[in-house]
Amino acid sequence: MDLNLTTEQQAFRDEIRGWLEANVPSTPLTPLTEPGGLDAHRAWEKKLFEAGYAAISWPSAYGGRDADLFSQATFSEEYARAGAPQRINTLGLGLAGPTLIAFGTPEQKEKWLPSLLSCDDLWCQGFSEPDAGSDLANIKTSAVLEGDEYVINGQKIWTSLGRWADWMFCLVRTDRDAPKHKGITYIMIDMHTPGIEVRPIMQINGDPGFAEVFFTDVRVPAWNVIGEVNDGWRVAMATLGFERGTGLGSHVRFSRDLAELVSLVKAVGLDRDPIVRDRLAQLFVETEVFRHNSYRTLSRLGSGKPIGPEASLNKLYWSTMETRLYEAGMQALGEIAELAPAAPAVMDALGEADAKDAWKHWHKQYWYSRASMIYAGTSEIQKNIISERVLGLPKEPRG
Amino acid sequence: MNFDFSDDQYALRDAAKDFFAGESSADHVRAAWDTETGRSPELWRKMAETGFVGLTVPEEHGGLGMDEIDLVLILEEAGYAALPEPLLETTAVGVPLLREAGTETQQKEWLPRIAAGEAVVTVQLAGAALVADAHIADLLVLQRGDELHAVPKGAFTCTAQPSLDGARRMFTVDAQTSGDTRMAGGAAEAAAAFDRGAAGTAAILNGLSQRMLDMSVAYVQERYQFGRPVGSFQAVKHKLAETLLVVETSKAAAWNAAYAIAKGLPERSTAASVAKAYASDAELKANYESLQCHGGIGFTWEHNLHLFLKRGKALEQAYGSAGWHRARLAESLLGT
Repeated sequence: MDLNLTTEQQAFRDEIRGWLEANVPSTPLTPLTEPGGLDAHRAWEKKLFEAGYAAISWPSAYGGRDADLFSQATFSEEYARAGAPQRINTLGLGLAGPTLIAFGTPEQKEKWLPSLLSCDDLWCQGFSEPDAGSDLANIKTSAVLEGDEYVINGQKIWTSLGRWADWMFCLVRTDRDAPKHKGITYIMIDMHTPGIEVRPIMQINGDPGFAEVFFTDVRVPAWNVIGEVNDGWRVAMATLGFERGTGLGSHVRFSRDLAELVSLVKAVGLDRDPIVRDRLAQLFVETEVFRHNSYRTLSRLGSGKPIGPEASLNKLYWSTMETRLYEAGMQALGEIAELAPAAPAVMDALGEADAKDAWKHWHKQYWYSRASMIYAGTSEIQKNIISERVLGLPKEPRG
Repeated sequence: MNFDFSDDQYALRDAAKDFFAGESSADHVRAAWDTETGRSPELWRKMAETGFVGLTVPEEHGGLGMDEIDLVLILEEAGYAALPEPLLETTAVGVPLLREAGTETQQKEWLPRIAAGEAVVTVQLAGAALVADAHIADLLVLQRGDELHAVPKGAFTCTAQPSLDGARRMFTVDAQTSGDTRMAGGAAEAAAAFDRGAAGTAAILNGLSQRMLDMSVAYVQERYQFGRPVGSFQAVKHKLAETLLVVETSKAAAWNAAYAIAKGLPERSTAASVAKAYASDAELKANYESLQCHGGIGFTWEHNLHLFLKRGKALEQAYGSAGWHRARLAESLLGT
């Protein structure tokens, strides 16, 4: 056990920190949801790409840096610490790219990887459907082969970046008679193809964050299939495995959030309140425990050991913690918690400009934190997985 | 950066697991409720022979010269077995205190005897009212204000204060301190010792919680109702998944505290508070859910579950409760 960085690890951290210090915009980018926001974020992604930081985990042959999990975590930590802009092509870079690298033909890689890496093309994920959420294998969107094209009909939902994406990596049903996991195919769809309709969905925090996507006789070249036809479930699950490194380093974000909560509590004069103090200390404990477990997972993976039970616990842990963190913020705001950011009384209550900014951030993110127990596998699904796969308890009856 | 144990450390953990499973079985723990001292000199001797007792004693004094990182997994296993013997007081807290705060004479007198299993140490720190295992202690190390004293058997008396855990023996003590008993170190060493106690207790609690969880996972698969194992019902499965979540994540916090203490890092007190606060609450969760999952049988004296529930209940409060540690953390977070 040695929590010191090696010389190389320290050098990498210094490099990332130095670059971010020199390049992270001093004022936040225009939010994605406002005019000009998308272009500003694309320009930032381009900058990362040109510096070689778009996808450091990718093999160098495809424009990555062959970064190991520890370096990936270091990058995420420094990125969060620097308060750098929100990444926008994360599903493409984190899921579509690694899937292509693992399962794509040389020609497919040549077609899609360069523009994905440079963010010239934005990617969205076409997995969830109205009747296939937690039960993902229940997808109904059909793809029927006609000549050398698939004709696709159906609907996807909860599609992040759906409004702007150029491409979708998608699961479609190519064999309705096979068992449900066996009739699924993984295919790349050009979002500009006729027959695709994207309808933004307004979230409860007021952001049009994701979309539903309708397919009506959408013709997609059979060439776009990744891996074998009807083998898409395996391809998709392998892809999800690539996600295991992505959460590492996120503890920095939670520690930042907690620091903001501390500022907020001081700004509203609750820092002597014993209940608030206890709650904040508990959140500090939870963020620290999360950090230690991140390093624990990282160390096991880094030395080639099988991932421990803590990895299955990761999502349930941080989503619960995040929700409590933001809930504590709302509780600390007291009476003004119910007000919208524009309400004059907010400005009266929080004199300092910093406090106002913190409050806005807090208020906006609150509802999003509530989604964390739903997306990427609900807490209930996580508990099923933990109790069945880690504790070995009997499986749920499945239809 | 490597936050993992070495193969040797895992091998020592495995040896401890086997040893405690044989020597500190649930039957042994139950028996310790009813004997006069509740302690087994024979078991202590064996623990000394295997090196567990002298693990933190420097090699020149006959010990293994190991540190908190080596010890933390052994403490987890001691917790898993609800070991009645004072491994925490002697090896995790007492020995490092003698090492850091003892005079040369005190070290020479006591450390070799401890490593040989001939002397048991207990401690009283930070104004704690109760002292564990004072009745069998050959040496009591106690804090009086900014002073530390090493008081040998005969120079203190103890009054039994029966615990809710019959295998845990608690006492109030009355000690005669003097210039002869005074140790070289003082408040700083006492504070470090308290953090060792908190971090070590966290590791023991994590082992206890894991035991309660394992017993529950086994029981809900044996127990059938409505023609199904009760462990097939989501209401039960989810309780145990939630318990695993806190018990498993708690371990890393105790390891981190052990590391911070072993390396003498400035954040050692913070790390100890994080570990103890979280482990106490994790154990509380395991305590409730394990009894609930056992149902009526768990509420009987005959069933072994209560041996672990009660040790957990006792240790929740030892070396600072979760609330106490959170209050300490809040001071660094928000000021006093």
